[in-house]
Amino acid sequence: MRILLALDESTRAIDEAVKLAAERGAGLTALFVQDATWHDYLGSDWLSGSNARGGYIEWAAEHDMREAAGLPEMLRERTKGIDFELKVASGRVPEEILKELASGAYDLLVMAQPFRRGLEVLRDTAAGLVPRLPCSLYLVRAQDG
Amino acid sequence: MEERGFLGKLAAIVPGLAMMVLTLYLLKQVVEPWLAGVAVFGQKGYITKSIGLNYVLMSILVGMAYRNLLFRGRIPDWAAEGFRTTRLFIKTGVIMLGSLYTIQSLAKVGGLAIALIVAFVFGTIFFVMWMGKKLGMDRSMVGVMGAACGVCGVSAAIATSPGVKAKPAEVALAIATILGFGIMSMFITPPIGRALGLSDYQFGAWVGTGILNSGQVLATCLSFNPAIAPGTAVAYGEIWNVVRVISIPFVVFFITLWYWRGEAKEEHMSLWGILKSKFPIFVLGFFGMTALSSFDMLGKEGSETLHMLRDWMAWIFGIGMVGLGAYIDFGEIKKAGGAPLKIGVAAGTLKLVLSLVIILLFIGKEASF
Repeated sequence: MRILLALDESTRAIDEAVKLAAERGAGLTALFVQDATWHDYLGSDWLSGSNARGGYIEWAAEHDMREAAGLPEMLRERTKGIDFELKVASGRVPEEILKELASGAYDLLVMAQPFRRGLEVLRDTAAGLVPRLPCSLYLVRAQDG
Repeated sequence: MEERGFLGKLAAIVPGLAMMVLTLYLLKQVVEPWLAGVAVFGQKGYITKSIGLNYVLMSILVGMAYRNLLFRGRIPDWAAEGFRTTRLFIKTGVIMLGSLYTIQSLAKVGGLAIALIVAFVFGTIFFVMWMGKKLGMDRSMVGVMGAACGVCGVSAAIATSPGVKAKPAEVALAIATILGFGIMSMFITPPIGRALGLSDYQFGAWVGTGILNSGQVLATCLSFNPAIAPGTAVAYGEIWNVVRVISIPFVVFFITLWYWRGEAKEEHMSLWGILKSKFPIFVLGFFGMTALSSFDMLGKEGSETLHMLRDWMAWIFGIGMVGLGAYIDFGEIKKAGGAPLKIGVAAGTLKLVLSLVIILLFIGKEASF
């Protein structure tokens, strides 16, 4: 059995995924998606100069990278004794999750609800994924949810 | 190879752009003339004149319907590149709008516009700072909301965010708030303006001062009066808009300064550096067109060149409005909440009401140009 954990700001989802993997002797893959949809989200902003707009998109990407940078160490610490790997992708979060699941290697997707990763804070990520999932889904209520 | 890449990019634009152009063509040339002939309450043209359902408003509504109903919340890949040209169309239109003015006419109205904008921009920023403190809101978020509510919504929010280290997720929520409030303003202000008998000058000054998002100022003015000529709502509203745009770098500097003074760390920055990176260059194109117009280089008022230019502007803005509507996602706007929503609604309402009161009390019906 292999579990895919979609990473967001929630540490509870990480704890639940690790607990499940340990209990079931399953492998765990954590997926961090750098949100690359700001360009579209700012489509209606026609006033900004290219520098201001580009500067912001770069800032958002850097923010994601900084968040991603601390992940390997933190996750390795929590997943001792588990077959674990971390993957980083860039794009639209639900699409990247589905792409990873399409490999057929996963039996379960674990993610927080509400899911807070990039612009997904404005979208109902889980609801959009449910009809398209090729595996089971385990939603973890976010701490502040 | 590179040539093929360019042609490939061009080909990717065609489907979405064709959809926007065809939509506008049908609304402007078929639907609006038909509506103008429909009699309601025994009055021909009631729908277009009294309700103000003209091709501009319909373009925005159809754009919204594309995004939220037809595309179910996401512009599909085949149309995305074409819809991305929205910014290019609106910016081009704004540059061309510069031809409606002369240096003399800008000088006459510009002073009032600058006074009102400066008062409302900084008044709103201080209000947001006060309210943010009361609600215990994060300082970086107060900075973003101050810029967004004070100046011009999305543009000011993204220009300010890196300087005050705002989290992208929070910026997204701030933008959703601003857009949501702006959409509401876009639909309620023209009927209010008509009911109060505001002139084009008063209406342009009101929404130019009171609406949070500059894109929506443009749309609202065109929906109040779709005519593009000197002395129309869009001509006045755009002066206010341009003053707001020019103020962005100064506001970013002020808010960034305020943010870092409250932090323990030092952050080196300069007004010149912010001006260089945040000043929207296209505004210079607007003033360039005004200069050409001032020296009659585009022909005298009523000339064939000006007539053609304004005709083009109507089409360019119309296409931009379809795109503007297509970037309004109700699903995303619905997610706005918490302190940003409270502050956005409070600041937006106060700004809209207070600017209307000032316009009614101190601004005459006629402008001097």
